[in-house]
Amino acid sequence: MDLSFLTVQVLSALRQAAFLFLISSGLTLIFGVLNILNFAHGALYMLGAYFVYALTLHLTGPAGFLIAILAAPLGVALIATVIETGLLRRIYMQEEIYQLLLTYALVLIIDDLAKIVFGPEFKSIPMPGMLSGSVTLFGGTVPVYTLLVVVLAPAVALILWYLLYRTKTGKVVRATSSDREMADALGINMSALFTLVFAFGAVLAGLGGALAGPVRTVFPGVGTEVIIESFVVVVIGGLGNLWGALIGSILIGSLETIGIIVFPEFEMSLIYLLMVAVLVVRPWGLFGRPLKVKALSEKNLAMEAQEISPVHFSVHPLVRWAPLLLLLLVPLFAGRFYQYLLTQIFIASLMAIAFNLLLGTTGLLSFGQAAFFGVGAYTVGLLLTKGGFGTLPALLLAPVVTAVVAGVIGFFCVRLSGVHFAMLTLAFGQLIFTVAYKWYGLTGGDNGIQGIPVKTIPLGGLGALDLGSNRAMYYFVLAVVWLSVELLRRFRSSPFGATLKAIRENGQRASFLGVNIHLYRWTAFVVAGAFTGLAGGLFAMMEKSISPEIIHWSKSSEPVFMTIIGGIYTFAGPAVGAVVYVILNSYLVAWTEKWALVLGLVLLTLVLLLPGGVVGFVNEKARQTLGKLRCIRKWSFSKSATS
Amino acid sequence: MAFLELNSINTYYGRSHILFDVSLSIEKGEVVSLIGRNGAGKSTTFRSIIGLTPPQTGEVIFKGERISGLRAFRICRKGIGFVPEDRRCFPDLTVRDNLEVASRREKEAASPWTVDRIYALFPRLREREKNLGSQLSGGEQQMLTIARTLMTNPEVLLLDEPSEGLAPLVVALLAEMILRIREEGVTVLLAEQNLHFCAKVSDRAFVIDKGSVKYEGTMKDLLANDEIKEKYLAV
Repeated sequence: MDLSFLTVQVLSALRQAAFLFLISSGLTLIFGVLNILNFAHGALYMLGAYFVYALTLHLTGPAGFLIAILAAPLGVALIATVIETGLLRRIYMQEEIYQLLLTYALVLIIDDLAKIVFGPEFKSIPMPGMLSGSVTLFGGTVPVYTLLVVVLAPAVALILWYLLYRTKTGKVVRATSSDREMADALGINMSALFTLVFAFGAVLAGLGGALAGPVRTVFPGVGTEVIIESFVVVVIGGLGNLWGALIGSILIGSLETIGIIVFPEFEMSLIYLLMVAVLVVRPWGLFGRPLKVKALSEKNLAMEAQEISPVHFSVHPLVRWAPLLLLLLVPLFAGRFYQYLLTQIFIASLMAIAFNLLLGTTGLLSFGQAAFFGVGAYTVGLLLTKGGFGTLPALLLAPVVTAVVAGVIGFFCVRLSGVHFAMLTLAFGQLIFTVAYKWYGLTGGDNGIQGIPVKTIPLGGLGALDLGSNRAMYYFVLAVVWLSVELLRRFRSSPFGATLKAIRENGQRASFLGVNIHLYRWTAFVVAGAFTGLAGGLFAMMEKSISPEIIHWSKSSEPVFMTIIGGIYTFAGPAVGAVVYVILNSYLVAWTEKWALVLGLVLLTLVLLLPGGVVGFVNEKARQTLGKLRCIRKWSFSKSATS
Repeated sequence: MAFLELNSINTYYGRSHILFDVSLSIEKGEVVSLIGRNGAGKSTTFRSIIGLTPPQTGEVIFKGERISGLRAFRICRKGIGFVPEDRRCFPDLTVRDNLEVASRREKEAASPWTVDRIYALFPRLREREKNLGSQLSGGEQQMLTIARTLMTNPEVLLLDEPSEGLAPLVVALLAEMILRIREEGVTVLLAEQNLHFCAKVSDRAFVIDKGSVKYEGTMKDLLANDEIKEKYLAV
């Protein structure tokens, strides 16, 4: 290896690190003060790049280019200010997950708006002549622009350090990030500070986008690629820690550069592997500290009270079985399309209810459920196409294989909670995604598996069940899902489920009572994983072809959506959410190209107006009405007794 | 009209009712104790005054102006300083930065409390000026939180169990400091479990139990009233 090669590679790694640092420093700053993991940070990065693109259409020459680079982040800051004051501010009192979801909804909205304004195609930003040249350094050819970026990022880091450690506002920011309530009581205007920090973080993201735009291409959705990388950076470095973001950026930047040279196939797996390795050894990242548990007074108790004091009326068995009866009758009058749609809903419901065993019941937000769905689907797909298994054994093996995978992953994940848990499950999920995506020999790589042969299921002396028709598949999926959901319902209302809820409410107190919280969480993780795998297996049987997209992390966000739409603290909520989501999804795609925009707006509205979800809202109303009815009854009884 | 007045406030955490019609009134320049056991509602009373857990009914009146319903930072800027019981220095900031964060530029000219005057009152803090909040001992942390709140230039200081967990020698020092702070014209409301500590510094006392005020009177009368002491304060 000669010096010129080394120079080129080192500088290329540093350039990558510089971009990563600009984005993740803003991300970590916002997390430190607002306690929000800003999913929309990548979208802000994208806006920075688009603004430079739009400005350079009118401003030409080096001076114009420079003005564009400096003005774009300010434009991004303006948009961020609107987002913070108009939307985020309304839900600071809610639990973290709602803030996470709101920013996720913003990603969908901003991406689609960018598509409308700038068009769906790739844009490249021309560089002025004096910056597009290259110089020779130690025998290697290095673009001037790379040198500029590599010098600029440390300058930004220095400025950040100065602002945070040497100015009063910076000290106030650091004080607030360690104790928000205390800062409030000391006369610091939290709202103004939050807006300031969010806008400042957006400036950093916008600057990252503005600088990266001319060397990378810009397209709607480019932010999603960037945000996942930045998540990895800040989680490795330690959430909320600026040095962590710096070191994390250099680590990931170098690893990506080395990865491209040495293991071009598995470049992306490498960064997830590093993240998993770091979190296994240091769960809070290299420079991070355990996050404080939210004080009870800070939580939104009204929502949890839904479950603590549920509506007290018993459902007549007939009412509980009525939906099943109705669903059994559907194929008699509904056509193939509706049967197919309902089958999709069944599978989605199973996935969402299994997911909510983690989120609503245990208080763990998993962002890697797609991996388990995928493992289940690939198990069925591979056993049927290559293993020569029967349909039923293959399907039954799906949850078993998934449970084993979930057992291994869960072993590492359940020690964490909150955002860290979400990020580690995301990393493991992406690791499995890259394996499925790249391992052509086994999984068919990005081609997936086509033409999965679904055979008849022998029923012993009763003949055989032929799953060839849509209607047969409908009944089969309905039966399997209904049975699984019933099992999950019993699991949740068992003493074991009650213990999980206790862990959700206060893990520390639960452990003081002698509960091995890791074991309980692990069990919940494995059970949820197994049923998600079963859902994946059913999916493979129904679709008869699968591709690695079903494992991608964006698929993991679906059960999260469904659960939030339906209601997190209710058992049936996720299923109701699945109905809404699948129907919205299939009709929106047919009706408009802007389905992501509409979905984002729906999600935004739900998070802001119905934080308890649809079912939570109905429950609350039912409770109020019942309460009134009881009062009236009591009153009339007491009246008749006295008269 | 009293300097600081609570008119039958009711405060909740979620759905649980914590304070039941609590009324207090404090005159300017007094040191008043709010005495009660663990969980009696002392901290909640303070959190209600400063606005961290605002009361749902009733009102808090300060200098004739209703302050309940305002946000915490506004109440602080009106002249109410809150020193929480668990000390809560900013652990990553130096002692000096802890003080600086609380100072308000627009008030600096009028404020009797400068960093130098704080150091004169708490010489120990000057010695540890460059140390981080997390490197201080319990007594030093208590001094720092009091000093930090003084930097906001309060007219009323809410001190929540300052003597808790401190060595007797430090507690004696603390009593002296409270009296010095009072000499500067700051009114002090002191929440305590330690009756003897209260006796050293305050003239009047309220006894609180299960979220409502059970007794109000001079410190002297309270010390002589065995029934109240037995019923609400005996451990």
